[in-house]
Amino acid sequence: MKRLVESSGVEVAFREVDVVTTGTFGAMCSSGAIINLGHADPPIKIDKAWINDVPICHPGAAVDLYIGATAMSERQPFEYGGGHVIEALVCGKEVELRATAYGTDCYPRTQIKTNLTKDDLNQFYLLNFRNCYQRYNCAVNSRDETIYTYMGKLLPRLKNATYSGAGELNPLMNDPDYETIGIGTRIFLGGAQGYVIGEGTQHEPQNLNGTIMVRGDAKKMNPEFLRGATFTRYGTTLYVGLGIPIPILNEGLAKKTAIRDEEIFTNVVDYGVPRRNRPKLAKVSYKELKSGAITVGDKRIRVSSLSSLKTARKIAATLKAWIEQGEFFLTAPVERLPVDTVFKPMRQTEEVSFVSNVMQKAVTCSETESVQAVAERIVTRSVNHIVMVDDSGKLTGIVTSWDITRALAQGKTALADIVTRRVITAKLDEPLETASKRMAQHKISALPVIDNEKKVLGIVTAEDVSKLLGR
Amino acid sequence: MVRILLRFSEDIVEQPITSQIILELKVPINIITAHVNSKGGEVLAEVPDESLDKVVKAFRKRGAKVSIPKLIEVDAEKCVSCGACVTLCPVEAITIDEDASVVFNKEKCIGSTCSACVDACPSRAIKSVKQNNSELVANNAH
Ligand code: SF4
Ligand code: SF4
Repeated sequence: MKRLVESSGVEVAFREVDVVTTGTFGAMCSSGAIINLGHADPPIKIDKAWINDVPICHPGAAVDLYIGATAMSERQPFEYGGGHVIEALVCGKEVELRATAYGTDCYPRTQIKTNLTKDDLNQFYLLNFRNCYQRYNCAVNSRDETIYTYMGKLLPRLKNATYSGAGELNPLMNDPDYETIGIGTRIFLGGAQGYVIGEGTQHEPQNLNGTIMVRGDAKKMNPEFLRGATFTRYGTTLYVGLGIPIPILNEGLAKKTAIRDEEIFTNVVDYGVPRRNRPKLAKVSYKELKSGAITVGDKRIRVSSLSSLKTARKIAATLKAWIEQGEFFLTAPVERLPVDTVFKPMRQTEEVSFVSNVMQKAVTCSETESVQAVAERIVTRSVNHIVMVDDSGKLTGIVTSWDITRALAQGKTALADIVTRRVITAKLDEPLETASKRMAQHKISALPVIDNEKKVLGIVTAEDVSKLLGR
Repeated sequence: MVRILLRFSEDIVEQPITSQIILELKVPINIITAHVNSKGGEVLAEVPDESLDKVVKAFRKRGAKVSIPKLIEVDAEKCVSCGACVTLCPVEAITIDEDASVVFNKEKCIGSTCSACVDACPSRAIKSVKQNNSELVANNAH
């Protein structure tokens, strides 16, 4: 379609093309599966359940369970989770179910342990609250350390970037006004046929961040298009393959489905800042993203995809083949996806603390001072940390009372010999929890707070943090 | 052949150590990748099994650090060609070809001493495996 519109124009394309197929294959955390186990004898009304040691929730009555993709195994957390359980079941493998209950007159049993395959289940339906993001952020990390996020492994100081999404192949991008997508739209889901059952949670169409809620029979699915996955130090998830056929009902749709990667933009977002509103550093197109490198300021950054373009293409091609062979019939939606919903942030009724809430004025020194002078300052100001700054107030090091004691004992007099130059720091608007975690990780008891120019704004100490966080 | 990873510090990086050893021992040493600058160097090389012992000794005598990396292997069944590993590779051993498949260049990969891609793989498709002559390696080189 894209090429046809370019070469022959929208009119010709509209006359010649009936359907455009799309596809995407990426990690979709808000995914899971509903299963019904049938009744045991004597019967049990499950209270808590685990499959292969992954905690499973029971949203309904006695033997209905929901396997959430991000629930993690109690024995192998961060390696094995709900996504892997779903994949194992789809593959036909046997899984171990354990459950406990409080026992009632009608459901006397208090525990059960059994092995199951998908054939033993009455229902095994994929039921995903939010799939198929129209587009997603490109992630980078400005911190001095590698971070592990749901956007993958991000190297320090913007040394790499990651992105997700199929760009011009994305289903919602090809029908951005949702003329053909809504409740009841039949789709490709995990290698089988499924349905859109409504807009997804956090659906935000006006920002080109539409999502869909989907359901499909997981017993018929194929592990090639449904895979358990692990993001190191973030947790487990599920890779979901999803494709939507878009009937070309009018010239407008012919034009919309001709969308190209160069016309789809997303923000480069700094995941090094652990806040809801992370700084946006640049705007890039999916064309640049797929080229393998993007430019932010004057920096060229190599970029990795987290979703598989190869599998996305295969999904679109498979869907096309199904339609051509008469195995898949298009449906008109019963109700179209809303185009006006907004995505509100959480209402918080309790105060949260940031570094700025507990920061104190830092006691400073300069490179040229003597150990003796700094020792005196530690005593008179009764602090444990002295921050070393240059003439313009920029951070150059840190000296602790311990460093001073040792220096005095060893008869050292030059500050330059004892100062720590690689200083672990904090930012003003950083949540206190992350600053506190960083202190614990590096086994230190204070962090100078600096701005983007490395100017010292103050200091936050473990003592003040624990007073406020109460630990 | 066994793969060895040689590290040269700033002090010795200017010296033609590898060529000296080739000449002295008359052993073919196949350089696979080399990353060298004035601050030091890292060279991945292949040596014949039977000469491993003397080659390692010769390098260590001249101040180079020698380690025997495990090899990185990708399980094609598990790999979904997502690409998450690509930018983590410092030697650009992982690339994406025209049909969007992710391809590992085993020749370029410096092995377990790097491993930067391993924990970035959501499918856990990347593993480090012992070189098949690792028994011999263990006896001789350590
Ligand atoms: S182990 Fe290192 S060198 Fe080898 S492929 Fe992975 S990232 Fe590249
Ligand atoms: S990260 Fe893993 S699954 Fe993704 S392309 Fe690399 S090896 Fe394959």
